Amino acid sequence: MADLAPLPGVFEQIRLIAGVRWRILKNSLRRKQNRWDLIGMIWVAVCGACVVVGVGVAFYTGGYEFVLKGKLAWLALLYWVIFLWWQVFPMFVAGFGSNFEFATLLRFPLNLRAFYLLGLGYGFSDFAAISSIFWILSMMVGAARAQLGIAPVMLLVSMLFVLVNVTLERLIGSWLEKLLAKRKSREVFLGIFIISMVSLNFLSPALQHWGHGARPVVMRYIPYLAWLPASLAGSAILAVANASARGLLLGLAGLFGWVVLLSGLLWRRFAAQYAGEEIRDSPGPAVLRKRAKSDTVRDEMPGVLRPQVAAMVAKEFRYLTRNGFAFISLVIPPLMVMFFTMQFGPGSMMKEHAVKPAMFFPGIMAYLMLILVTPAYNSFAYEGKGVQTYFMAPVQFRDVLLGKNLFLLGMVGFELVLALGLLIFRVGWPGTPMFLATVCGGIFAVTGQLAIANWSSLSFPKKMEIGKLKGQRNSGVAVWTAFGVQIVVGAICGVILLAGTWTGSPWLPALAFIALTVASVGGYVSSLEPLNRLAEAKKELLIETLSK
Amino acid sequence: MTDTAIATDKLTRRFGPLTAVEAIDLRVEAGQFFGFLGPNGAGKSTTIKMLTGLLAPTSGRMELLGLDFQKNAVEVKRQIGVVPEGMGLFERLTGIEYLRFVGRMYGLDRPTAEKRAEELLEFMQLADREKTQIGDYSHGMQKKLALAAAVIHGPRILFLDEPFEGVDALAAGALKSLLGRMTERGVTIFLTSHVLEIVERLCSHVAIIHKGRLVAQGSLEELRAGAGEPHGDQKTLEQIFLSIVGQSGAEQARLEELTWLT
Repeated sequence: MADLAPLPGVFEQIRLIAGVRWRILKNSLRRKQNRWDLIGMIWVAVCGACVVVGVGVAFYTGGYEFVLKGKLAWLALLYWVIFLWWQVFPMFVAGFGSNFEFATLLRFPLNLRAFYLLGLGYGFSDFAAISSIFWILSMMVGAARAQLGIAPVMLLVSMLFVLVNVTLERLIGSWLEKLLAKRKSREVFLGIFIISMVSLNFLSPALQHWGHGARPVVMRYIPYLAWLPASLAGSAILAVANASARGLLLGLAGLFGWVVLLSGLLWRRFAAQYAGEEIRDSPGPAVLRKRAKSDTVRDEMPGVLRPQVAAMVAKEFRYLTRNGFAFISLVIPPLMVMFFTMQFGPGSMMKEHAVKPAMFFPGIMAYLMLILVTPAYNSFAYEGKGVQTYFMAPVQFRDVLLGKNLFLLGMVGFELVLALGLLIFRVGWPGTPMFLATVCGGIFAVTGQLAIANWSSLSFPKKMEIGKLKGQRNSGVAVWTAFGVQIVVGAICGVILLAGTWTGSPWLPALAFIALTVASVGGYVSSLEPLNRLAEAKKELLIETLSK
Repeated sequence: MTDTAIATDKLTRRFGPLTAVEAIDLRVEAGQFFGFLGPNGAGKSTTIKMLTGLLAPTSGRMELLGLDFQKNAVEVKRQIGVVPEGMGLFERLTGIEYLRFVGRMYGLDRPTAEKRAEELLEFMQLADREKTQIGDYSHGMQKKLALAAAVIHGPRILFLDEPFEGVDALAAGALKSLLGRMTERGVTIFLTSHVLEIVERLCSHVAIIHKGRLVAQGSLEELRAGAGEPHGDQKTLEQIFLSIVGQSGAEQARLEELTWLT
């Protein structure tokens, strides 16, 4: 029997895990196979750093000006901005993913204290925390430059504030993780989340209608915010300026109370995890619901599509119904039609400046194209290991693409009918020439993009997982390709529509779009064979990328 | 009809500077239960991927059922079934939906695909999970489903990459019987497994790949004869395997290095 080594101390364990995290990050950067992906990451990092530094300058200026001009009460506002950013941003980034990596640490002989400290330590390493701490420091430097004597108190207050925030963020993250560990609940919440985000668009029209009535109600509840951490931090610093020891002590005690309360709750959550809480999906026992065996199978339905293409269309439909994000994106177009017509339509507050129906139709069409067709530029994103089936089965890859494209066309068609119907109901008939031009322009806009979208999907695949937002980054090249193509298609459509106005020929756009549609369908059909060969050439890339 | 199910000629695959499979000449007769063995990283999965169209060879030729794969890829794929490494399942479909889909992709008409899918799910004891998505299946259940998908179109050659890994003993027994019956009907089965006892029990012929090269090929009897046993005792496949890949006795030497553990 081998001798057992003494356990390392808590801080040594933390150091080891931090080292592993750093190594994982370095290796993940080294493994970036696509140069454009790496460039994209660097670009995002540079932009992110610029934003953080830029906002940091604003916090510095705010801290300096508020203290210099004796408006210390306004510092609470800066703390509120940081508080909201720190708590809300991680939910957007990580809210709908499950991070089990932290729980895997349990296989090591860690005690609960080390487990807790590690969990808390993770909270310091995300983007929201790093940027927030940078802004707090900027604000402190600004305030100290204006009045050096305020610095010690501000440092103490800010340290407590940071502790409150990191503890609360980890607590919310841990609750969310538990709540969203199950696939079904994750998808339901993802749906609610997306609908809520879209619904924010209705905030402005709603405020226009009911804003005045709601204001006194909101103002009545504002004083209660004084007990929350950001207000407490602000009031503690204000108390120094007012030489109020009681106010300072109350503010510090309040912040300390939050730290104790949140730490207690977080300790309970981590203790449950430490004790082996199982929150993930597991196969579980079979639901004994015997399938009724069909003794007589249904007759073969005569179909217009080849079996392989029909199977692809059916499979795409099933995947859509199980992809909460994509499924809900079908609700967004009619919602946006409602929003745009409420905001800019004839019945809106804009009255005489309202957008005319003839402009509404192409405008909404362009918006729908942007939402619905962009995913086609990385159309294998959700296939996962299943992509191997396309290469194992006796099927030409053009049939796979055709099935996917036909399904997309059907879906876009359905959405267009819905959106146009709603538009007619909300803003009225735009006139037959414009209606036809919009419909034909829509068909051209989709068919004109399909060949390039297929090329992009085969050349720059990127795996994504249904029901997750965390770590879900679309293929950078695919996004830029979609962006570029949509600008070109949009410009062509715009010029044709304007040509109709300039020449005074209302039917010109419809005729031009019909001609372009015929040409783009021809181009699409002739692209299938080259794409078939491209798929064969790219199969290793596709399988390797999507099967990870 | 040809008697040779699989024949390769100098089949080679390189990944940059690494040669994963080097000039292998395989020959598998129709109706054989063929075991393809090798240590980790020897090139087994790469070979299977090439033989099933998932990976293009760098050079060399391969014929399946007398057809040149590169020239008749679709026709060859129509006649083979595959359980690939990673299984290749669509995790967001249910078992029956996936089998129907695969059946249709292999050209079965809708009623036949439906009927066979139901029968296969019954056989694999997966029929009671009608609404469960594949992503929520256990590993063993996924393996059984992948096997069902590989046979739904009645293939003439079946490629199985670690088919019994994670499958419970009951299901494994049923699967072995099924595979045995298939070979009796002339189906060729090409199987890789790390469990040499299974290979020894099921396979009539074996090939061993080591560092990308084919180092042995033949019936079990031929391999035993080749391994040469001075005392006349019959060697197990494990002993033959270890002696061929040159690792016989090596584990003892390595164990002696781990004095702190042993």
